[in-house]
Amino acid sequence: MLKSKPIRFLLLILVAGVLFLLGNVLPDYRVYEGATASIYVIAIASIILLTGYSGQISLGHGALMAIGGYAAVLSRKYWHTSGVISLIIAVLAAALFGVILGYAAARLRGPYLAGTTLALAVGLPSLANQFHFLGGEQGLNFDIGAPPKFLGSNFSTTKWYFWICSIAALIIFWLVQNLLHSRYGRQWKAMRSAPVSAALAGINIARSKVLAFIISSGVAGLAGALLVMTLNLVTPSEFPLSLSFAIVTGAVLAGIARLPGAVVGALIIVAIPDLADQIATKIGGAERISANLPGFITSLLLILTILFAPNGAKIGKLVSHGSTRT
Amino acid sequence: MFAKRSSKFAVLATASVAVAALTLGALPAQAFNPRSEAGVTATTIKLGITTPLTGSAAPGYSKVPAAMQAYFNYVNDNGGVYGRKIQLTVKDDGYIPTTAVANAKSMSNGVLAYVANLGTANNNAIAKSPVVGLAANRIPSIFINTGYSGFADRTKFPTMYPIFPSYIMEAKIMGQYIKENFAGKKLGLIYQDDDFGSDALAGFKTAGVKFDVAIPYASGSQSAAAGAGWVGKLKAAGAEVVVMFGVTSATGAALGASAVLGYKAQWILGSVGGDATTLKALGVPAAVLTGSIGASFLPGTTDTKDEYIKQFQDVNAKYNAGASFDNNVLVAMNSAMLTVEALRAAGKNLTRDSLMAAIEKKGATFASAAFSPILYSPTSHVGYSGYWFGKYDPSGAMLPDGGTYSLYTTDSGAGAVVKATIKRPAMPAKGLPNNS
Amino acid sequence: MRLLSTLLIGISSGSIYALMALALVLVWRSTRVVNFAQAGQAIASTYIGYVVITHTNNYWLALPVAIMAGALIGALSDILLIRPLNKRITSGPVKEIAPVIATLGLLGLIRSLVGVIWGGDLKRYNAPVSINGFTFGHTTIPFSRFNLLIVFTAVAVMAIFAFVFQRTGLGLALRASAFQPEIARLAGVRVDLVRTVGWAIAGATGAIAGVLITPSTSLSPNSLDLLLVLGFVSAVIGGLESLIGAAIGGAILGIGLALILEYVSTSLAFPAAFIVLMLVLIIKPSGILGSKAGRDA
Repeated sequence: MLKSKPIRFLLLILVAGVLFLLGNVLPDYRVYEGATASIYVIAIASIILLTGYSGQISLGHGALMAIGGYAAVLSRKYWHTSGVISLIIAVLAAALFGVILGYAAARLRGPYLAGTTLALAVGLPSLANQFHFLGGEQGLNFDIGAPPKFLGSNFSTTKWYFWICSIAALIIFWLVQNLLHSRYGRQWKAMRSAPVSAALAGINIARSKVLAFIISSGVAGLAGALLVMTLNLVTPSEFPLSLSFAIVTGAVLAGIARLPGAVVGALIIVAIPDLADQIATKIGGAERISANLPGFITSLLLILTILFAPNGAKIGKLVSHGSTRT
Repeated sequence: MFAKRSSKFAVLATASVAVAALTLGALPAQAFNPRSEAGVTATTIKLGITTPLTGSAAPGYSKVPAAMQAYFNYVNDNGGVYGRKIQLTVKDDGYIPTTAVANAKSMSNGVLAYVANLGTANNNAIAKSPVVGLAANRIPSIFINTGYSGFADRTKFPTMYPIFPSYIMEAKIMGQYIKENFAGKKLGLIYQDDDFGSDALAGFKTAGVKFDVAIPYASGSQSAAAGAGWVGKLKAAGAEVVVMFGVTSATGAALGASAVLGYKAQWILGSVGGDATTLKALGVPAAVLTGSIGASFLPGTTDTKDEYIKQFQDVNAKYNAGASFDNNVLVAMNSAMLTVEALRAAGKNLTRDSLMAAIEKKGATFASAAFSPILYSPTSHVGYSGYWFGKYDPSGAMLPDGGTYSLYTTDSGAGAVVKATIKRPAMPAKGLPNNS
Repeated sequence: MRLLSTLLIGISSGSIYALMALALVLVWRSTRVVNFAQAGQAIASTYIGYVVITHTNNYWLALPVAIMAGALIGALSDILLIRPLNKRITSGPVKEIAPVIATLGLLGLIRSLVGVIWGGDLKRYNAPVSINGFTFGHTTIPFSRFNLLIVFTAVAVMAIFAFVFQRTGLGLALRASAFQPEIARLAGVRVDLVRTVGWAIAGATGAIAGVLITPSTSLSPNSLDLLLVLGFVSAVIGGLESLIGAAIGGAILGIGLALILEYVSTSLAFPAAFIVLMLVLIIKPSGILGSKAGRDA
């Protein structure tokens, strides 16, 4: 019933091809949005893994992204690591933090975990102002380097970032999808829907949960590092509480347990400000209205989705059979 | 078999729909109709601003775009700039750098220049982003809404033109004022623990001022309870003169707490946090604000004898739907006036380069409400460079010390603080620039 | 003296967190939902109170009006959002997180509506009693009549709730509906109605918190955001299962923050909240008065 690996791989190649075309056809701003959307795909995937599959709530993934971002910047600054290595270090640093967080999370039940991650999201980024080597509010620069020469001199930085982000998103998508279809994925689903039976079947619940947290953190760390890359800068204000909320929102819009839906969730999050802008210009209201419209639309969409399509938009259903049973 | 095929088609369908959705909204006229210069047509000039309209940093600052557009509409109704009407594209960034960069990017092909972008972190992110390519694409970012000294560095930020005196300047000038008037007193300082604050610390250090107690606060954490803590420390140190170099909400917390705790000291309020209207809205009792010292480079918002104030209040009443005329509105309109003058000075053949050249060559002669000279030149991107000091009276109006505005000027480096004579250019008739 | 001041500051801010925490715990115990919209309900009611104050300049009139508005908004939140949610989602991966997301959405919705109706500028609320600290001889302590009012209100609300929950039929119905709705129904409890009452009470409590905190700062669409986070952290510290715990949690967080800000560094406000929370949870993972008894979700 589960799609076979070769088919899924082919699909990914197909998508990669489409993205390549898009990168060349769309105006620069859309390409930039594409990079942002790819970053969201990765972050949302981390939540789908954590919440949708292993059933643990996190309202603080923005903090994990911050750890990834700062780790990438610091390693590049002090160890002069290459771009790829910096990104890998970001994953490792965030995953390491995920170990601590994971063990704490295993002891905390739902809302307590939510509260802890919430406090983390608010408290962690501002630490950058305490330690000067973290750059404070000015932040630290991060330059992943210009596009390689063989791509031609006309290859814009925006397109370069889009390529890096979307390739990273595809790789993560591939890896996480494999993971979710593997033994661990089945363990998490079992844990989430029938914990007693799962334990009886010999699954070490605590260890499974911690593993989910570690992997989820690492993935979030990558998203954070990519975010920092697209901005060429890491500062605490890049990781506000609203970022953590946006990721969870995207995961819900995606269908919390459907990985392919991550794309839909990411696109919606990125598209809403533009959509709201266009609506606001059409109705030509006062600034009060146009300023609050994006927030209004996002919230409304969120409520409607959770009410009428809590397991994600139909799109997700088309692409993944077999993982719909809970 | 069918299932697999249908799912493949599904993916393709999804991808196509996504592409179509993105692309449909994405085709601005510019894509098909390459202009000679972004943001300029025969009849319009498009400017862009990204600033917090929602979120916790929004109160107060959210008035800026509307006030600027009001002034622009006034100018538009009177012939515009050589017949071109000014349009301001306003984007909300919630004070988040990621959003600010995205906003800047979305406008980068459609506007002639960014004007009054707000926030040190946001401007820094926009300037450093190769995606926006502020320097690479020679996009002007003029009259930015921050006092961070670093943006005046022409080599790092070649297309940025700050206008406010830097925080370093303000701190140095305050330091001088303190040395002249409060020598020997115990000094206290409350500052924000980021670049806003570190600029201030650098300035005070250059001025040779030592504080007996210096209290940092994390941006966003200011509250009545925090304020009580700060005042406790000030009391413990016996501070008699306290510099409050923070945002308005922090100033409100500190002053409010000193009222509650009956702490009496001579407060010196930094310009960023010194807007009396906002402080009143924050509940600062008049008793505490009265007699506090404040610094500003513009005339007091209630000084209707001042020709600029009177004119701006007029424009505000007619074009800004009667928004209350506070410091935010005054600063916004002042920057708008400078913008119009810069556009005019750039000539009828309006391009980004001609705009920047105009600011550099002629900016020092622009008329504005400020008492400070403007220091733009081909080698300097520094705008205003001075402050005057005043005391708040019971109505919240800041009245100049001794009845007349006396100005201190300095630089962001090691230069001395100089008491300068004010030679403010007369306002063009009816507040409508006529320079060229 | 320094310590006493710090403790007093901590108690007055802690009492505000306690009110918010009480509302959160109330909703949690009666519906098993963490109500992120609490801040939204509170801010909307506070704005309504503001309207009353601007027209009548009477705080004591604004307070009950805000409370009623809060109760109404709370009840509507339940009827229009949570009830349909519970009907549609009875199982699945979304069950635990759905109400969190829904209330988050509601928070954003209310906040943007408030922004549209009243704009983003700061609005003013005057306190009904003196906000100046009590003076003893030469020293003025950071504790005023107004702070006393706040502490008193927090304690009173807590006492009333504790009484209602433990001693009245309504309280029993609330607890039963949350713990075992099916059995409660069988026992004749009108579960849906009872739950709506719970939400109404919580909304009213949030209104009280909002109206009490605003005079010390000011009113804007985001002015209660931080309170939501700190209120939630307080509730977690106290153990979400206990109303008294919520009050204790608020006190602990308030005092803990004040101590850290005073004795460690004044710029550590946000990490400090996390530190206090972690210190408590490491020792007691279900909060100070939280029960260990394993209740899922």
